[in-house]
Amino acid sequence: MTSVVEGAVKKPPPTPRPSSFALLGSLLAVVLTVITAITVEFSFAELIENLTRRNLVVEGLLSPDVSQVWSDRSLRAFIETLQLAILGTATGGVVALPLAMWATDFGNPNTPLRVAVRTLNAVIRSIPDLLWALLFVTAVGIGVLPGLLALFFFSIAVVSKLTADTLDGVDRGPIEAALASGASVPQMLHTAVLPQILPAYSSFLLYGFELNLRASAVLGLVGAGGIGARIEFFRGRGEWSEVWGLVLMFFLVVFIVERVSVSVRRRLI
Amino acid sequence: MIRLVDATVEYPNGTRGLDGVSLEIEPGEFVVVVGLSGAGKSTLIRTVNGLVPITSGELYVDGDAVHTMTRRELRRLRAQIGMIFQGFNLVDRASVLDNVLVGRLHSVPTWRSLFGLYSRVDTELAAEALERVGMLERSHSRATALSGGQRQRVGIARALAQQPKVVLADEPVASLDPPTSHAVMQHLQQINQNLGITTLVNLHFLDLAVAYGQRIIGLREGKVVFDGPGEACTPDVFEGIYGRSLTAEDTLTDDAELG
Repeated sequence: MTSVVEGAVKKPPPTPRPSSFALLGSLLAVVLTVITAITVEFSFAELIENLTRRNLVVEGLLSPDVSQVWSDRSLRAFIETLQLAILGTATGGVVALPLAMWATDFGNPNTPLRVAVRTLNAVIRSIPDLLWALLFVTAVGIGVLPGLLALFFFSIAVVSKLTADTLDGVDRGPIEAALASGASVPQMLHTAVLPQILPAYSSFLLYGFELNLRASAVLGLVGAGGIGARIEFFRGRGEWSEVWGLVLMFFLVVFIVERVSVSVRRRLI
Repeated sequence: MIRLVDATVEYPNGTRGLDGVSLEIEPGEFVVVVGLSGAGKSTLIRTVNGLVPITSGELYVDGDAVHTMTRRELRRLRAQIGMIFQGFNLVDRASVLDNVLVGRLHSVPTWRSLFGLYSRVDTELAAEALERVGMLERSHSRATALSGGQRQRVGIARALAQQPKVVLADEPVASLDPPTSHAVMQHLQQINQNLGITTLVNLHFLDLAVAYGQRIIGLREGKVVFDGPGEACTPDVFEGIYGRSLTAEDTLTDDAELG
């Protein structure tokens, strides 16, 4: 398009040159990736060679044995996994709520205690689910109990973190009103804060359940019960068709639970 | 009822919210506090229920020394003092009745309130307070479903449900339109006259201050620069309080006449 006024063609100001910080950062990222690839001795040749060799694992994948999923033991393992995820989320999620509230300035006026709670929360968050499972398998032995304990702490970590972020954004007005009327801090949290965060908190519980369901498969590999223990059993015997059958079923269950959970959560917020 | 003796509030950043304020408010008075924003109106009102502690001087409410109170004693004091806010400070997702019941929390043991187990007396007091501001039929509406004026009436009901001896109102009509502002001010006036509750209201509209204040206290830079009956407030007096000439923004209606 030409401008109506002669000699007054509008041009946007020249695009500013990318900052040297951005250039240097991108360069560093590329260099780091290349260096790490070299140091872990990654090679496409090896990858292709291994994949084209006769491979029992891959052959099992092509003929998964879904029928044994309905065996007593596998079914029980499935139910155990669901139970683990539900119980772990419920208990951990309930504990996470006060932990998140006691870490806020309005929920805990006592500064040393608040710092203590925040530190505890940070420690719980920094330990990954698998490490919790290893810790508890070592402490209380193989079985469902270490799995439950691991998911309990993992749920606290996830739910308290997400809830804490929501608590940062609550409307402080009702808090002031409750305190000004002579309410105690727990009363204030219950009447002025909880209604504000309840939808988000419920959504975090469901999200925690999704994560726990997935995590429970891995936990079994280190001896913490559930479907993972069953998968580990067949893997140890080299029965790959059975392994893949279980994985397939597990995938379906997780997929369905996640779809339902996502649609429910969308309605909550 | 309320007595300040050389009360000063110094904030951690060094600014003085109140600077050596001494005044006495008698039971049943309706006092309006005026001043520019930042003059210390909000600070003054919040020292009375201990939301803002005074850093030096003395403060007595009903003979009790607020400046030496423990947390427990402060809660007991606050139970007797209702507060009304500029932003209403309602819980949006809760019902009108639940919002008003917040005013009863001080009389409910914590464990009972966590299960929402309010006694019949508490519920009746909340209903009575809602009736007084004409909002009883809306008890089960969500606070979000109400207009600004209705929300402030719920805020007043919450304060009334406390059965307070004193009501503090911090710019209660600053977010409302002129007719609604008058309606809310009239509610406060009636409560003061019918129930004999000592009332302290911050306002920045001077015509409202003159219309409703039995007594007007003028604050400037944390100091009391005027203290007298509403009739004594001429535009000259207000210019003295504000330290500048008055503009149309200083009154609720443009053609308001002062004094």
